[in-house]
Amino acid sequence: MQQRAVQQNRADMVKSVVIALTLLATGGQALAASAVNLDNEPRVIIVTEGGTKQEIAVGAGETIEFCSGGCFVTMPNGDREALTGGETLEISGGVGKIK
Amino acid sequence: MSNSGESVSRNLLRAALWRSFVVAVWLVGSLMALPVAAPAQQAASPGTPPVDGLVADQAAIIDGLAAQVDLDDKAIIDDADNDIRLVEIRLNLEDVLDKVLVSGVAFRPRVSEINNRLEQLGPAPAAGQPPEPERVQQERQALTAEKAEINVLLGKAEDLSVRINGLLTKISTLRRDLFTNLLTKRYELSDTIGNQVTKDVIDEGRTLRQRIGSSLWYVYTFQFKALTTAIFIALLVAAAAHLVGKRLFGALITRDPAIEHPSYVSRLSVAFWSALLPAVAQLLFLVVVWTLFESYSLLNIDVRVFLIGFMAVLALGAVIYRLSHAVLSPDMPNWRLIDVERRPARVLIWLMTALALIVGFDWLAGVISDRLGSPLSVTIVKGLFAAILSGLVIMTIAQVRPFADSKGEPQRWPGWFRAILYIVGVGSIFAAIAGYVSLAQFISAQIVVTGAILTTAYIGLLASRAISEEGGFAKTGVGRWLRSSSSMDDAQLDQLGVLSSVVINILLVIAFMPFVLFQWGFQPGDIAAWMRRAAGGFQIGSFSFSPFAIVTGVIVFVLGYIITRWFQSWLDGTVMARGKVDPGVRNSIRTVVGYAGYALAGLIAISSAGLDLSNLALIAGGLSLGIGFGLQNIVSNFVSGLILLAERPLKVGDWVEAGAVSGTVKKISVRATEIETFQRQTVILPNSILINGAVGNWTHRNRLGRIEVPVGVTYKSDPRKVHEVLLDIVRNHPMILKNPEPTVLFTGFTDIALTFEIRGFLADVYNGAAVRNDLRFNLVDALAREGIELAYTLKPAEKEEASDAIEPAGDTEEGKTEKLASTTQPAPPSAGQKSPPKRARKN
Repeated sequence: MQQRAVQQNRADMVKSVVIALTLLATGGQALAASAVNLDNEPRVIIVTEGGTKQEIAVGAGETIEFCSGGCFVTMPNGDREALTGGETLEISGGVGKIK
Repeated sequence: MSNSGESVSRNLLRAALWRSFVVAVWLVGSLMALPVAAPAQQAASPGTPPVDGLVADQAAIIDGLAAQVDLDDKAIIDDADNDIRLVEIRLNLEDVLDKVLVSGVAFRPRVSEINNRLEQLGPAPAAGQPPEPERVQQERQALTAEKAEINVLLGKAEDLSVRINGLLTKISTLRRDLFTNLLTKRYELSDTIGNQVTKDVIDEGRTLRQRIGSSLWYVYTFQFKALTTAIFIALLVAAAAHLVGKRLFGALITRDPAIEHPSYVSRLSVAFWSALLPAVAQLLFLVVVWTLFESYSLLNIDVRVFLIGFMAVLALGAVIYRLSHAVLSPDMPNWRLIDVERRPARVLIWLMTALALIVGFDWLAGVISDRLGSPLSVTIVKGLFAAILSGLVIMTIAQVRPFADSKGEPQRWPGWFRAILYIVGVGSIFAAIAGYVSLAQFISAQIVVTGAILTTAYIGLLASRAISEEGGFAKTGVGRWLRSSSSMDDAQLDQLGVLSSVVINILLVIAFMPFVLFQWGFQPGDIAAWMRRAAGGFQIGSFSFSPFAIVTGVIVFVLGYIITRWFQSWLDGTVMARGKVDPGVRNSIRTVVGYAGYALAGLIAISSAGLDLSNLALIAGGLSLGIGFGLQNIVSNFVSGLILLAERPLKVGDWVEAGAVSGTVKKISVRATEIETFQRQTVILPNSILINGAVGNWTHRNRLGRIEVPVGVTYKSDPRKVHEVLLDIVRNHPMILKNPEPTVLFTGFTDIALTFEIRGFLADVYNGAAVRNDLRFNLVDALAREGIELAYTLKPAEKEEASDAIEPAGDTEEGKTEKLASTTQPAPPSAGQKSPPKRARKN
C-alpha cells in the first residue's frame, strides 16, 4: 500500500511537471524578429544570420518571422540594420523602420 | 610520420590528461576569457562620445574587432593541434560576434533620426520645380552622406559576422578531427625503441633535475619568504576548508564502530561524503597554491607546472584510495557497501590506487616531456610502459577473489565483470604494443577518472534511492532532526524523502555530468558556452525556453509558497488565536489567504520565468469555451467554495444536514466539503450542492437547540397527573435550560394512547442524544412510581393471551386501553425505547 502511495506521489509529480511544461509551452515568448510589409507589392530583404546571407521575400501585407539570435538586415532601399531578435520591422515604401 | 603530426598527438594526449586537473580552474578560466576584447573597445570609445562622433567611434570599434578576428584566425592556424586553445579561441570569437552585433545596433537611434529628418525635408525638387533653399539642400546632402557611411560600416560588421561564423565552423571541424586522431594515431614502435631512447630518457632526467634544481635554488635565495607564505596560506585555506567541512559534516563522514547495524542510508552517506569532502579540500589547496604561485610568479613556469602536477597526481591517488576505502571498508565489515572480504578488499584498494598513480604519473611524465621539449620517442616509451603496467594491474584486479561463499571459500568476480576487465587489460597492452599508445593511455585514464566519478555519482544515486524508500528519510540525520523539531509524521517525511531524492538526482546530474563530459573530449569552454546558451534560452519554433529563467521561476514560486505558509500560520496562530476568533472563521480566513498567496506566488513565478502573461490570457480566452462546457461543474464548485468561505453559511465544526447527509463539517476546500457523519463516515459533498440546495445547520449562530421526547400513556391514566410528572422530570434535568422554558404538550389521542411530548432547550445541541436518553429513563422510572402505564401495541400472540384473560364482550375501548403502546421518536438512541414497554408489561 505504501508502495502505491509512492507511485501516487510519482504520478502527481509527473502530472505537475506536465502541467508546468504546458504552461511554459503556451506562455513562451517569441524571441524572433518579425517583419511586416505594409506595401502593396512584395519586398525582398537580405538577412545575414549565422554566417549565411539569405534573401527573404515578404508578400504584400504579409508578416514573417526570422532571425532568432541576432542578424544583419539589408532593407529594400539599401539601408542596413543590425537586429538582436525580438524587434518588429515595418517595411513601408521600401523603407524599413524598427518599432 | 611528420614531426608536426607527432607534436599534434602529443599535445592532444596532454590535453586529454590535463583535463582531470583543470576541472577546478575552468570556471576561473572562462571568466577570465571574457574580458579579453575589452581593452580595444575601451581605447576606441572615450567616456561620453558626442553624437557626431558615433560613426567614428563605431568605426574604430569595428576595426578593433576585425583586428581581433585576424589575430584569432592566425591563432587557429598556429594552435590547430591544441584543443584547449581552440576552445578558448572559440569563446573569444563568440564574444566578438556579440560585440559586432552590439556595435551594429548602436547605429539604430541615429539611423532612425536621419530617416525621420529626411522624411521631414521631403524629396529633392524635380527638374522644373522651384529650387529649395540652399541650407535644406546642404542638410539633405549631409544626412544622406552620413547614412551612406553608416551603411558602409554596417556592411563591414556584417562581413565580419560572416567571417566569424566561418571561423567557428572551422574550429568545430578541427576539434572533431583532433579527437578522432587521438584515438587512431599509431606510432611505429620499431623506429622509436633503440639505444637512442635510453640516451634520450637519461638526457631528459638530467634536464629535469637541472631545471628544478636551479629554479629551487633561485627561489630559496631570493623568494624564500614568498614561497613559504604562499604554501602557508594554501595550507591554511585547505585546513580551514577541512575543519569547516568536518565540523559541518563530521557526523556524516565518521564511521562509528559502536553501531552494529548501520542503516544502508548512513553507510551510503558516509561513503559519499568521506570520499568527496577531503577531495574538495585538496582541490582547494591546489587551486590556491596555483593562484598564489601564478600571481607572485614564484618558481619557473615549468617547475610550477611540474609541482602542481605532482601534487595533483598525489591528490588523485588519495581520492581513489579513499573512494575505494569508503566502498569496501575492510576494517569495519558493518560499514561495507559491497560485501568484499577483508583481505581482498585491502588488495583491491591498493590495486585501484596503484592504477590511479600509474595513470597520474604517466600524465605528469607527458607534461614534463612536453615542457622540456623531449623527443617524441621518450613520450612514446613512457606511454608504452604505463599502458602495459596499467593493463597488468587491471588484469590483476580481475584475478582477485573478492567474495566468500557460504562455506567461506573465496569466489571470483561475476563472469561478465571479469571478462570486461580482461578485455580492457589485454586490449590496453595489445593496443600499446601495436603502436596505439594514445588509445591505451586514453583507456586507462578513462577507467580511473571516469570510473571514480561514476562510482561517486552512483553511490549518491543509491543514497537518493535509499532515501526515497519507505521510511528511508526518517532514518537520515535530517529526517530525525525534522521529526524531533517539527510535528511531521511518517507520511510527510516519506513525501519529503521522495522530493529530496529527486533533488539529489538532479544535483548529481548537474554536478557530475560536466566531469564525465570533460573526460570524453569536451573542454571547459564547451561547457561554459553551453551554460551561456542555456542562460540565454533556446528556441523551439517561435517559443523560447530559458532553463535559467524557468529555475528562477520555480525558486520564486517555492519562496512564495513558503512565505504564504508562514504568513498563514502566523495569522492563524498568533493574530487570530489571540483575538479569540471563532475557529470556523479562522479556518475560512486561513484558506482564503492561502489560495490568494499561492495564486500570487504562481503569477509572480510565471512572470519571473520570463513568460508573457498576455500569451497566457490568450490561451485562457481560447480555452474558456471549452472550460465553460467541460469544466462547468468544477468551476461551479470552485465558485461555490469561494462563496462558502466568504458568506460562511457553514463553517468547520458545524453540524449540518444536507439532504440525506448529516454530520460535522471537517474541511471546506475549494471544490468540495468534507462532512463526517456520526457513524464516522466521511462524505465529500461538492460545494455547489451546499450552495444551491437547502442546508440545515444546527450550529449556525449558536449551539442552542430543542429536543423532543414523545410519550404515549394508556387511556386509564390521568392526563393532568401525567403532565405534571413529565414537567417535573424535564425541569429537574440539569442540562435543560430554564430559559427558554421547557414545556410538556398534550399532543393528542391515538387508538391506544394519550400522547404527550416533552420539549426542552439545550445550550449545546450536541448533547441532545444523551439528554433524551436520560429523560426517557427518568420518565419510565417516574411513571412506574406513579403507577401510570405506558401504551403499547400487543403482538398477535399476546393479543390472544389478553383476550383469554379479559372479558371480550364488546368493550373494545376498555380492551384497547389495556393494551399499551408506546410511540417514540425514530431518532437514535433507539436501544432505550423497547425496554420501557417490556418493563411495563412485567409490572
